[in-house]
Amino acid sequence: MSTRLTRRTFLTTAVAGAAVAGFPLPLRGQPRTFKIGAVHPVTGPLAEPGQACRLGAQMAVDAVNAAGGIKGKGGLRLELIVGDTQTKPENGRVEAERVVSQGAQMLLGSFDSGSTAAMVSVAQQRRVPFLVDIAAADPITANVAKSVREGQQKVQYVYRNFPTGSSFGRRAVQYFTEIFAEVKVTPKRVVLMYCNDLFGQSQSRGFLAAYKAARPAWTLLEDEVIAWPEPPSDLSTEVSKLKSLKPDVIAPITRPASAQLLLPEIRKQRVESLGIVGPGSPGLYEAGQLAALREDLEYVLTSVPWANFKNPKTNAVAEEYRKRSSGKTFDTNSGYSYDAIFVIADVLERAAKLDDPDAIVDALRKTNYTGGLMQYGGPVVFNEIGDNPNAIPTMIQILKQKPVAVWPKDAALEKFAFPRPKA
Amino acid sequence: MAVGLTLIFGVMRVVNFAHGDMMVWGMYLAFLLATRAGVDPYLSFVVCAAALFGLGVVVQRGLVDRIVDAPHEMQILLMLGVALVLENLALLAFGPEPARVRSPLVRLTWELGPLYVDVARLVTFAVAILLTLALWLFLFRTELGRLIRASADNHYGALVIGVDVRRIYATAFGVGAACVGAAGALVSPILPFQPVTGLSLSVTSFNIVIIGGMGSLVGAFIGGLLVSVAESLGAVFLTPSLKELFSFSLLILILLFRPAGLFGKRVP
Repeated sequence: MSTRLTRRTFLTTAVAGAAVAGFPLPLRGQPRTFKIGAVHPVTGPLAEPGQACRLGAQMAVDAVNAAGGIKGKGGLRLELIVGDTQTKPENGRVEAERVVSQGAQMLLGSFDSGSTAAMVSVAQQRRVPFLVDIAAADPITANVAKSVREGQQKVQYVYRNFPTGSSFGRRAVQYFTEIFAEVKVTPKRVVLMYCNDLFGQSQSRGFLAAYKAARPAWTLLEDEVIAWPEPPSDLSTEVSKLKSLKPDVIAPITRPASAQLLLPEIRKQRVESLGIVGPGSPGLYEAGQLAALREDLEYVLTSVPWANFKNPKTNAVAEEYRKRSSGKTFDTNSGYSYDAIFVIADVLERAAKLDDPDAIVDALRKTNYTGGLMQYGGPVVFNEIGDNPNAIPTMIQILKQKPVAVWPKDAALEKFAFPRPKA
Repeated sequence: MAVGLTLIFGVMRVVNFAHGDMMVWGMYLAFLLATRAGVDPYLSFVVCAAALFGLGVVVQRGLVDRIVDAPHEMQILLMLGVALVLENLALLAFGPEPARVRSPLVRLTWELGPLYVDVARLVTFAVAILLTLALWLFLFRTELGRLIRASADNHYGALVIGVDVRRIYATAFGVGAACVGAAGALVSPILPFQPVTGLSLSVTSFNIVIIGGMGSLVGAFIGGLLVSVAESLGAVFLTPSLKELFSFSLLILILLFRPAGLFGKRVP
């Protein structure tokens, strides 16, 4: 039997062939993109910082693309695939799985330590390099580094550009000591208060441990630490306890909701002290908190990761952020997520190839990035655990209703006011 | 707030899981009135109560009415659904950050010897007593109140004597919602709130209502006092982060020894 090429068969074959060949055309027509899965708590109790992270990351992606994408890779554009943990730790894993299935080649996230830890397993199992933009708990990177060291896993895919819980504590004790020394006071009764959730516990533990290790001249009432359940409905009893301790300095670790109860209560019960100095927590500097608490926040000091406003680029980005968020401050959350995208862009420029996750990890390990907008103690680098030792907090103070960097000295925009001036 | 919950349950045997979220809407309404129109929450609570009355009637007529006779799990699903919708609408409308209404009263404290009395809390407490009293008068001294109680006692009996039970239910749900609307406005200067606050408010009010006795007004009032005193004493004598242990232990004790609550009637 001979196969004759009739006009009809020729036409059908040609049309079918053209259809098959033509189908991917729309896809081929688009510029290539590198997909980053950005998972944050955009709804639920942590929605406010989570939304800040997402917007910060999106702004950075827009900026990278507007500047021509990843130039070393033919102008490759970045694309975010966003995920929402709904502030439930277990969703960290679910959402990470989802964005990876949708083609995410790197992961970014996720603000709270619980869901970040859940994302780590996806990163390690599916070999997706994961840059933690925000999450302080030490074990997130330390556990992976340990299992790689012990040979249970081959490659570490998890890296973090954010201070760790223990480094927060050490820096806070250091800043307390330096600030007290600068004004020549030696408080004998520093009272630590904290919100009793995972974050508050690890922050207070880190602070206490660092205090014990440093043995500074000032005295923390180690046995009189006051904790409250978060979110609290009333803090009057906690504050009367505080008052009975006759504090020289009040050191609160708050969340936004508890700060809104704590500070007015301290004023109402007329607790006298040299000042309020936070070891590091949200709730004491955000625009919304300032609007609600006003003069109760004046002169409050707190140690937080902060943007470097001496850098003119930071001010430009902060202004854009203010517009795109309808009036919010460019702060810890938006800032670290913004920097994370630029670190990723820098890594992609240097990576030998992008279809091999291990090549991306190689480039990640060799990072030495100096373009960050946050206040760092040096360039962004990753140590053997996968953390950036140069990610440090800054002591800020509310002065004339604005948060201002006041310590360490080279980051300070203004001189701090401590002890708190009498009204 | 608990008074409103107990009213809705007492009349319709419907457990309003959206209670806390309705209260949050009362708070945001007070917030809007305070920031946009400059009305103090201690005055605007009347407006908030009226608005929530409307919301309550709409929810009852539109949704609850269809499932009053359905099994309890259907009601729970529906009310949880309403709660989710209300919470996320608040998230859309107002954003996630905690808000707080500023009132000049909040800055005041009276010094009574070694004690500091918070004027805002005192006023809130006083208004709450007045409102509970007014509700009691409404239920026990007016014709409509009598009809509400009649429908609560015996659904079919009320139908037989010609009561428009559907209308009564809508009114009762509305009045219950109005109570939380007023409560929301009254505590908005004291308690910072965000869209997710609703759940913890619902849990607290369930605790109060179960301790006091489902469906009992006096019970709800006494239950509220007991829970708050238990929490304060717990914070003083143990560490403050364990204070909720006290109120919920109280709940377990009540469930073990007086399952109907302190002032509840035993269901035959």
